Amino acid sequence: MNVLGFVLAIISSLLIPGIITITKAKMSGKKGPGVFQPLFDIARLIRKGNVYSTTTSVIFQIGPIIYFASVVVALLFVPFGQYKGLLSFDADFVFFAYLLGIGKFMMIISAMDTGSGFEGMGANREALYSMLVEPIFFILMGSLALLTHYSSFYDLFVHIHYDSYLTYLIAALGVYLLLQIAMVENSRLPIDDPKTHLELTMIHEVMVLDNSGFDMGLINLATGLKFALYGGLIANFIFPVEWSLYAQIVVFIMVNLLFAVAVGLMESFRARNKLAKNPKWILMLSSISLIVFLCVIEITQKLL
Amino acid sequence: MAFTLIILLELTLLYLAFTERVKRFIFILMVQGLLLFGIAYLHLKQVNTLEFTFIVTETILIKGLLVPIFLNRLRKKNNLERLAHSKLPSFVSILAISAAIAFGFLLSEKIHDNDLQSKFFSASIAAIITGIYFVIIHRNIFTHVIGYLIIQNGVFLLSLAVGNEFPLIVNTAILLDIFVGVLVLGIFVNRVGERFEEMHIDELAQLKD
Amino acid sequence: MLLIIFQILLVLTTCVFFVSKRHMSNLVLLIQLGLAGITGYWSIDVLTHGTVFERELLINFWGSPLEIKVDSLSAFFILVLNFTLLTGSIYSKGYLKPYINEKNHAEFGLHYFSLAWLHISMLLVCMLRDGLAFLVVWEMMSVFSFLLVIFESEKKETVKAGINFLLQMHIGFVFIMAGFIYAYVQTGAAFSFDGLSVYFEEHHPLPLFLLFFVGFGIKAGFIPFHTWLPHAHPAAPSHISGIMSGVIIKMGIYGILRVLTYIHTDLLIIGIFILVVSVVTGLLGVMYAIVQHDLKKLLAYSSIENIGIIGIGIGIGLIGVAKDLPILAVLGFAGGILHVLNHSLFKSLLFYSAGSVYMRTHTRHLEHLGGLIKKMPKTAFLFLLGALAICGLPPFNGFISEFLIYSGLFKGLQTPSLQTNFIILGTAIGLTLIGGLALFCFTKVFSIVFLGTPRSGAPEKAKEVDGSMILPKILAGIMIVAIGVYPVFFVKMVGNVVGLYVRDISLIMQDTSYMSKISCSSLVFILLIAILWLIRRAQQKRVHIEHGPTWGCAYSGANPAVHQYTATSFANNYSELAPPIVKTGKYFESLKEEEIFPRPRSFKTKTGDMIEENMVEKPIRKIIKWMEKAAIFQTGNLQHYIMYAFMFMGLIFWLTIFNII
Repeated sequence: MNVLGFVLAIISSLLIPGIITITKAKMSGKKGPGVFQPLFDIARLIRKGNVYSTTTSVIFQIGPIIYFASVVVALLFVPFGQYKGLLSFDADFVFFAYLLGIGKFMMIISAMDTGSGFEGMGANREALYSMLVEPIFFILMGSLALLTHYSSFYDLFVHIHYDSYLTYLIAALGVYLLLQIAMVENSRLPIDDPKTHLELTMIHEVMVLDNSGFDMGLINLATGLKFALYGGLIANFIFPVEWSLYAQIVVFIMVNLLFAVAVGLMESFRARNKLAKNPKWILMLSSISLIVFLCVIEITQKLL
Repeated sequence: MAFTLIILLELTLLYLAFTERVKRFIFILMVQGLLLFGIAYLHLKQVNTLEFTFIVTETILIKGLLVPIFLNRLRKKNNLERLAHSKLPSFVSILAISAAIAFGFLLSEKIHDNDLQSKFFSASIAAIITGIYFVIIHRNIFTHVIGYLIIQNGVFLLSLAVGNEFPLIVNTAILLDIFVGVLVLGIFVNRVGERFEEMHIDELAQLKD
Repeated sequence: MLLIIFQILLVLTTCVFFVSKRHMSNLVLLIQLGLAGITGYWSIDVLTHGTVFERELLINFWGSPLEIKVDSLSAFFILVLNFTLLTGSIYSKGYLKPYINEKNHAEFGLHYFSLAWLHISMLLVCMLRDGLAFLVVWEMMSVFSFLLVIFESEKKETVKAGINFLLQMHIGFVFIMAGFIYAYVQTGAAFSFDGLSVYFEEHHPLPLFLLFFVGFGIKAGFIPFHTWLPHAHPAAPSHISGIMSGVIIKMGIYGILRVLTYIHTDLLIIGIFILVVSVVTGLLGVMYAIVQHDLKKLLAYSSIENIGIIGIGIGIGLIGVAKDLPILAVLGFAGGILHVLNHSLFKSLLFYSAGSVYMRTHTRHLEHLGGLIKKMPKTAFLFLLGALAICGLPPFNGFISEFLIYSGLFKGLQTPSLQTNFIILGTAIGLTLIGGLALFCFTKVFSIVFLGTPRSGAPEKAKEVDGSMILPKILAGIMIVAIGVYPVFFVKMVGNVVGLYVRDISLIMQDTSYMSKISCSSLVFILLIAILWLIRRAQQKRVHIEHGPTWGCAYSGANPAVHQYTATSFANNYSELAPPIVKTGKYFESLKEEEIFPRPRSFKTKTGDMIEENMVEKPIRKIIKWMEKAAIFQTGNLQHYIMYAFMFMGLIFWLTIFNII
């Protein structure tokens, strides 16, 4: 049964980019491609040949692979309702976060490997933002650990009970934060706009300027997987475990779907931040996660 | 429930540190007025008509509507759009206000008095510190008014925190004070706005003679 | 028997002066192997059986026989330092080869003699418990490391950095000595570590602990006592930098841990103190590391950061003991102590790699390097391994120790005290930020030094270093991967040390069950990478591969080295965020209005250490100013000096008359 969650997450990861594209197309009054178009693109990329810069070394070739592998292994940690993730132990979210960290590390150095000024820009922005975004995730998980007295993904999500206004507030803030973390991690709006055509202001897109073929396919797949990762966490976060398996499956898919639509809507109606404002914006998210922590302190009756 | 509203109030404080638009400042004041109504209403033991009307007038009517509308007119008249912070990097403000919120919690835990409702106390400390900080870092007189109003909201919460007897009298006094203050400043700002292009206090300092 | 061999080896070290320069390294390595074998045998024995090893050395010291005592703490540190010193010694052979013709026999001999005696004195530091003997070997350790640092003594800045190092070590020494003397005077018990336990039982421990903390903290490099590190490390030869960063600064940690074994009261305040200092040390250390341009200076700041992480572990552990939260205590101590081992491994690896780069390019300046992965692939990959490990990324060893601290923190959140909750949360935020900043720092270093196009002529002529310089790196690399992939064994070993502080260490055994799950996850990760690599290779064979220049927005004709990002630009968006702490000075001549055809100009940035600037240099400048004022008496006129003497005599005369002296 643990495998089921993984399989569902993989399926939703394949569909999420398509749904986002469709939502954005519909919102801007275009017809838009089919749901599977991003998949076809990836399949085409994976069959194609590569162009390598003469400046690059093995790092450039192995970087995308490690990035992709890190995201896939991270997905193994995401639980599914009352079933644990395929890998699960105490404080596994630390492993989860640091695993994503090694993926980022490799992507950054593989971008720097091309010796291009543009990719340098993307790489150092990615390094800065991923540094700033890390505390948010940890404070959020710390708050849940305080609330439930457990410390693995599975236990955290299983033992949350929504019974007061404050817990609803925590749920709302938590979902908001996870959504925004997903946006930052994937370099989407309002941090970065994948549609933009100016290398000087891009983050993720400019890091992969020189990648092609198989590597590019993996990177695009990893983007979908990263969305599914956080979609899965959100699904676990909101829905009670007592529901039956079928309801869980439906809910899981629905949440991932809604997540994709929400991302599409956000990207349609929101302007991107000024680049200099991004650190401040991410810091704001950490402050919100601090508020979540304070709520938990109140719930656990530490404050009279 | 009351605590949920308090948390929302603290979120508005954070937002205050984040945004730079004057419009948003005024919006925050409005939201805070409404939140304060909710908090005060939930705090009431039994619904007393006099007290209830007072709370409604004070929070919704004055804090939530009159003052923001008045400030908004001032804003339009003086063409205030964005107010950049002082030399401090802007994210320092967010750090400072987060620290203030955490400090409020720690302080109320330390004081630990039975007559003190620490929920309200922690938020009021945070609001007062935020207000003071806001006044310090901004150099525009209009934002000083907003800072004072935030402080007043904090004092309102403080009066809820320390007990049930005082609020009526204390609040009336503070409220009148602030209201008159806002009016006077409003007139002042109007006049100054005609004289100077911008309302920098550096330029006002030249008026000392 | 072993003891006798041990002492014979001590005597044998003098033979270093009587062999040719070429064979000195081999002789010293042999002696070190002998020493390491003997002490390692004792240590492993102690760690596996949980006993305490006690022997009397044959040397008499102050009339009484000198006793050595190895408990689990000493044993752990002995093993750590043996490993790093051996790899350093192997590395030195290749690294010092170019110097064989430059240096004379005595200089070379002194270097190797000092290396051997550094090893010996460090072993003794870990084994001796008598106060006076401890102080003597502690001093010996400082002096020999000083001699090692100033190997290139013909360079002025090397000697300056060396003397700075020696002076600061002596200030630390004074504090430690004062601690011992104070405890001795107060209690009248033995002048030794055991005497301290008497003092700590009877008195308030905080003041004396602070004395020891300052003394040992200078060695360890806690901020604000860190100012010697960034100067001494670049000045020293690279194997010495590796040893210094890997183990010498850990001796400070050893001292603190040793003193802590005797303290059983007031642990909360001590724990919070250590924690706050460590979080600050960790954060500031890595924040300064990012903006450095000198490769070895950068690594030195990164050592400061790691000392912070070790301190966080210890502080958390103490709070756990004080608040009676065994899980927090066990995991905190285990994480901190394991990080001692981990840091010694990856930092020595990084310094050895930096040394290889320096040897082949003759520059440590980041802006002059680049593209070395093509010339020195082995060094590059080993550096990458170290960089990944130091960022605490799985599946390498740095992750294991940070993971222990994290899991302690998150489990410790269940404490009922609000204050502790906030401390724990603050520490967790600090630790994540340190992790993120380290990632920023080491992606920068690795990509600027090894990737892209060479930024000057220096890296173009570089070639891979000899096998003898690769071997120690590989040894360290194997250990890094071993701890990362199979942590259970090492966590159990550390568990014995933790037993000194926490009575109930059964929790660590519980932990090992999910340690094995970590190794399982790591293996899955590695396996997946391998599979993907194979798939990719199969795919690459079928398709058409092209090579061309990097996409340069149609400006491909420009010099690629100019077009790429530099170390300064990589750190720029970060240093703009933190101006009050990381102040980057920009030096340039601005364009004047009347200049229609501007002359060529230069632009220079320099980042100072604000703490060193404000806490050391400014006060010193003030003192010097005062001193200069006193110099008005030095007129150079002989008559004046005679008058001073006369006035002095008169003063003495009058003071005697009024019975003042």
